[in-house]
Amino acid sequence: MKRDVNFILNGRPVTLSVEPRTTLLRALREYGVTSVKRGCEEGECGTCTLVIDDLAQKSCMVLALEVEGRSVLTVEGLVAPNGDLHPLQQAFIEEGAIQCGFCTPGMIMTAYAFLRKNPDPTESEVREALAGNLCRCTGYIPIFRAVIKAAKTMRELGAHPGAAR
Amino acid sequence: MLAFEMERPRSMASAVEMLVSHGDKAMPKAGGTDVIVWMRKHAVRPEVLVDLSEIPELGGISFYPHRGIKIGATATVAAVGAHEDARRYYGALADACVSHSDPLIRNKATVVGNVCAAVPSGDLIPAFAAYEAVMHVFGPEGERDIAFADFITGPRKTSLRQGEIVVSATLPMPHGRSAACYLKQGRRNALDLAQVGVACVAMLGEEGVRFRLACGAVAPRPVRAFEAEDMLAGQVNPDEALLERAAKAAVTAVNPITDVRASREYRLSMVEELTKRAVSICAERLSGGDAR
Repeated sequence: MKRDVNFILNGRPVTLSVEPRTTLLRALREYGVTSVKRGCEEGECGTCTLVIDDLAQKSCMVLALEVEGRSVLTVEGLVAPNGDLHPLQQAFIEEGAIQCGFCTPGMIMTAYAFLRKNPDPTESEVREALAGNLCRCTGYIPIFRAVIKAAKTMRELGAHPGAAR
Repeated sequence: MLAFEMERPRSMASAVEMLVSHGDKAMPKAGGTDVIVWMRKHAVRPEVLVDLSEIPELGGISFYPHRGIKIGATATVAAVGAHEDARRYYGALADACVSHSDPLIRNKATVVGNVCAAVPSGDLIPAFAAYEAVMHVFGPEGERDIAFADFITGPRKTSLRQGEIVVSATLPMPHGRSAACYLKQGRRNALDLAQVGVACVAMLGEEGVRFRLACGAVAPRPVRAFEAEDMLAGQVNPDEALLERAAKAAVTAVNPITDVRASREYRLSMVEELTKRAVSICAERLSGGDAR
């Protein structure tokens, strides 16, 4: 039987009607938030990563009903209201950290939650933080570069610009 | 995934009431990273999933030097791995937390859930065995404690009775100064189950040094290598020959299978190697002053 779940999605309150078995991943894709990718759906690949109350989570491992009253952030929510990309998104483009792009939203959300906790990471800390996100194109090196570059930009900006982010 | 109903009780009493009223059609869920995968594969088919994650008193981690560390049923692997007292006094526990899957899953998976899933390769299981944890259980007949040695009865089987849930687990403080580690052999660092895991706790008390050794993923139940522990007793700096003999004794305590991750033979030789390494690491830390 379908039930309502109320939560904040990228800064806006939403109510979705879902079955208990519906994962947050499937509920969001159904709703039109397609940045969360359906990869393995077993918690292995990390392409469905989003941020729930400041913690990066794999949305295939979260039942939609579990986010009642919580705040969910996807990569759509990182874009500023005027359309400006987040420093992480910008750095991924500049460093060529994207090839097919399938892993990118998950990578960016993991990196986003990580940089909030550790704004000035070493490369090995970045590698460890991204260990749960698989990429089959880039060989990871440009991704690590992009995260370190974004961290620097974000430190220079001082705070996280924009409302939802 | 097959359809099911989900209950989100706010108290332990109502959780147990739900589990009792639905009987074997119900299953408890903590983080869910194991149970969701199993439900997707139709390996388990609960009609009612009782989500424990909204029960406030299950989430805590507390440490009292004379009692030990108490880990609530819904404390995540990440929270325990980052807990200052766990890192300082429970090296094998902290190592096990960091070796578990990846940083994202650790934000969701729970320590007690990993133990209750009772999968032989569960990363937290050897640490629970080596620290001789006590499982605090609540059920229709009230509270009771189960010694960890009696808790896991086989792959995916525990001694919990119908309607009972683990509320928390206490890992008693090791006696005297101690050093500990958990060594995990996997095919890659992140997102892999253990082929072999060895936890070692070395304690320097009044009656001399004692080692505790526990092995995971090498038998249907968690294994303590008691014979090896006895051989090492009193040896602050075990020499190569003793390490060799103790590691061989640890091998006789285990009975691994061959599966997709490793062969029986490989696991046996890894038990030997990891036992040697774990004991030397702990002995070195004890004598080098890097003990707590």
